[in-house]
Amino acid sequence: MDSVSALSYYYNLITTYVTYFWTYYRDLFRDYPYEVKTAIWVILWSLFLIIVIFVRLEHIGYKRTKRDELRKKLEGRFGRLLDSIFACDVYNPMSREDIKNAIDIDPERLAKYGYLRNDEQRRMVCRMAYERLMRDEVAGPSRTKNLQLFLNVLGLQNFLEKEITRGSTWRKMKAMTQARAFKLYMNPWLLNRLMTSPKVRLRRVAMYMSVMSSSDSELAYFETDFFDKNSCIYDEIELGYILNRRRNAGMKLPNLAHWAELQKKDYTKCMFVRLMRRFDQREYCAQLEPMFRESKHKKLIEEIARTWGYLSYTEGEQLLVEALLTQPDDTKVAILHAITRMDTGKNQRVIVDTYRYNRNPHVRYEALRCLWNYSDDGKEMIEVLEQRAHPEDKKLFAFFRNPLTLSRMPLNKEQAYHPSVETVYNIAN
Amino acid sequence: MSTWITIYYLFCYLIFGYSLAIMASYLLFILFSRSAQAGQRVDMPDDDTIRYQLKGSPLTPAVSIIAPAYNEEKTIIDNVNSLMQIDYPDYEIIIVNDASSDHTLELLIENFEMVEVPYDVAMRVPSKPIKRVLKSTNPNFSKLVVVDKERGGRKSDGSNAGINVCSNKYFVCTDVDCVIEPMALYRMMWLVVTSHVPMIGVSATMLMSNGCVVEDGRVVEARVPRSILPMFQQLEYMRSFLISKLGWSFINSLPNISGGFGLFDLDVVVKSGGYDNTSMAEDVDMLLRMITYMRNSGKPYRVAQVAKVCCWTEGPSSLQAIYRQRVRWARGLFEIVSHHWKLFFNPYYGVVGIFTLPFIFIFEFIAPMLEISGFFFMVWLLFIGGINWGTAAIVFGMIYLFSVLMCLFLLLFDYNTEAVPWYNRRRSYWHLALAAMIEPIIYHPLITYCSNVGYFQFISGQTAVWKPIQRTGVKKREKEKPANNAPTPTK
Repeated sequence: MDSVSALSYYYNLITTYVTYFWTYYRDLFRDYPYEVKTAIWVILWSLFLIIVIFVRLEHIGYKRTKRDELRKKLEGRFGRLLDSIFACDVYNPMSREDIKNAIDIDPERLAKYGYLRNDEQRRMVCRMAYERLMRDEVAGPSRTKNLQLFLNVLGLQNFLEKEITRGSTWRKMKAMTQARAFKLYMNPWLLNRLMTSPKVRLRRVAMYMSVMSSSDSELAYFETDFFDKNSCIYDEIELGYILNRRRNAGMKLPNLAHWAELQKKDYTKCMFVRLMRRFDQREYCAQLEPMFRESKHKKLIEEIARTWGYLSYTEGEQLLVEALLTQPDDTKVAILHAITRMDTGKNQRVIVDTYRYNRNPHVRYEALRCLWNYSDDGKEMIEVLEQRAHPEDKKLFAFFRNPLTLSRMPLNKEQAYHPSVETVYNIAN
Repeated sequence: MSTWITIYYLFCYLIFGYSLAIMASYLLFILFSRSAQAGQRVDMPDDDTIRYQLKGSPLTPAVSIIAPAYNEEKTIIDNVNSLMQIDYPDYEIIIVNDASSDHTLELLIENFEMVEVPYDVAMRVPSKPIKRVLKSTNPNFSKLVVVDKERGGRKSDGSNAGINVCSNKYFVCTDVDCVIEPMALYRMMWLVVTSHVPMIGVSATMLMSNGCVVEDGRVVEARVPRSILPMFQQLEYMRSFLISKLGWSFINSLPNISGGFGLFDLDVVVKSGGYDNTSMAEDVDMLLRMITYMRNSGKPYRVAQVAKVCCWTEGPSSLQAIYRQRVRWARGLFEIVSHHWKLFFNPYYGVVGIFTLPFIFIFEFIAPMLEISGFFFMVWLLFIGGINWGTAAIVFGMIYLFSVLMCLFLLLFDYNTEAVPWYNRRRSYWHLALAAMIEPIIYHPLITYCSNVGYFQFISGQTAVWKPIQRTGVKKREKEKPANNAPTPTK
């Protein structure tokens, strides 16, 4: 019996049995009310599924045991070599021969099956290497090179490329994460294909991997409106990591203000403005001026103000002072802090006026904090203001004078969450 | 007479239709939770990757862990040590002493070298006055903050005091007796960090620590509880977290983040008023207010359940304790239905309003009342000889087998995806499978009874008394025991 006829034979057999039992039970309960029929139907299906689940539970347990055994076997074969790669503290590049000699494998078996017999084994060895790499605190260049050579000898670089092209999204993500950690060069064509994937996470991981492993031209992704969805903290972490690596390698960093200009979403603009602050891009601050003037997005204006303050972009101070009159209270606080950080000594009056004329106790409190740090005579000015303060406002000063509040100054944090914000509201109310 | 017969038939069909609807809803939730799990499998890389990416970044948000404590002198030191074992780059632990009458505070001061510090406490949400704030002089315990406050009587008051002191944008609210998995914060924060809309709350899976072996504040050997009541609760918790909550999370309408372990956005919590000290279901109540606030402000939001984050808590092991707990929960549910009635069936509140809350009302709130009325109906039929025993047996068989099937689905799902880390020994699952077979006969009637008592107490206006559960503590392994004898968790 050939395979096709065998298949059709079993198919016919099963369908005959099913039809027989179906007809039998249908006839058996023919005259019963439909609720009994429904209950019988649910009972039969439940019993069938319960048996399937028990079998499956055992099957999973068996597979897991096999997996553990395989892991043990591969640890015996490659574990020592991997440990020796991660244990070397000095620059000690290995050769292909060193690697081959260090692998503990039977020559006959090697000739027959190669180092790794199937994809499951390849995945497991990648995992072993990856786990060791992630727990390695040093990760020097020698280790990375030796690890790459190890992967190359076992053909795992090609395997990871294959994983990226086929299989489930989960497999693709895993392969990309591992390849990136091993600092392997990946074919850009493969990554480009993933960048058109409908899955956002996959697209982003592919993009970051592409940017990480290739030349300047790849940074052009950000010159388009790539972030079709709102960016998240993860994007900022990744971009920060990539830019930091580039800076450490002595490469010129791109103009982040230009990228901010190109983005359509305000949240994404904010991200690039924050990154400017982190990478000290003072030279591009002027490019943010039109955005500061025209934007209606409160958060973006706050971020620009903070960036200017942090980078001491004193040319923008006048713009900040003008904005102090028009912006909402939360933004005013960010602007006050920026002016304080610039500390040009020209705008003490503006801060004092904010304290005097603003009705929001939080803004007034922040104005006091800024005044404390502003130029040499800020503290003296606070003394004067305190003497003249209305009895109700004395509470504000008392709170401000809390030793812990004062110890938190100067304002060198970008925007540390300060627990006093609502307290000040409560004092006022 | 014909009217009575009509009522009789209507009631029978109502019960039957209701049972079928519950079954269908369970199937739907299995589908939802499987989809959520598949999504999280893609979005959440392995622990090493998460740790590597978040640990090395200055942008990783800091987290505060708030744990109120009342008369916990037996376990407080171990529990604080357990919290200190959590692996995360930047977090603070806030222990709120709710005017304990035992030596809880003294033990904390003595063991962790705490001294009083001046601190500008913000009364962002209502709580009883804070007497003092203590910090450690030992740099090893620099993460620890102890808040000594006046007696509030409820956990929610302690949590609110913690919220008033906490200094990070995200905070975790937990019980001081919970053993938290070391990677828990990383995994929860990964969802926050990768979310494209503001994540206002993340819920974790809670399991019974009864029977587990704990060493240095970590569960080193996860075991199924030996006694029968905690084992039933284990099944119940797994069903609740891995099917219901994960399913709700899939459609972004999770109605509850457990008070035992949940992560929240501080700003949203403060703006929605924090925990309600008078509520019996303060966790559900707060989350509903947070959702209402976000909806009213027109801001997008997300609330998620992470399957792969585990928090071990000691479940009540005596009938009396479980009775008290479930009566309280039932009162809480009644309170939620009565307080948040305007959200129910209200399309303005999106999926939560038109689907989640009606679902809770129909399938969780009404169910115990229908079950008890069904029971009395059955007794009445028994007296008048109106039971068709064959049909009754078939219908009972259907309900019983379906409930066993659901539990087994859950176990399979859990075992297959390793949703609960470490809990992967075959024998454990067989124990749970056996428990699943007797649970509908023994445990479910008990819970139904407790729920009805709770409803009755609420309606009759009886005063609720909050009594903490007596902890017996989990098993501890001696440090001297050789490491090679210790069974190591496999992944």
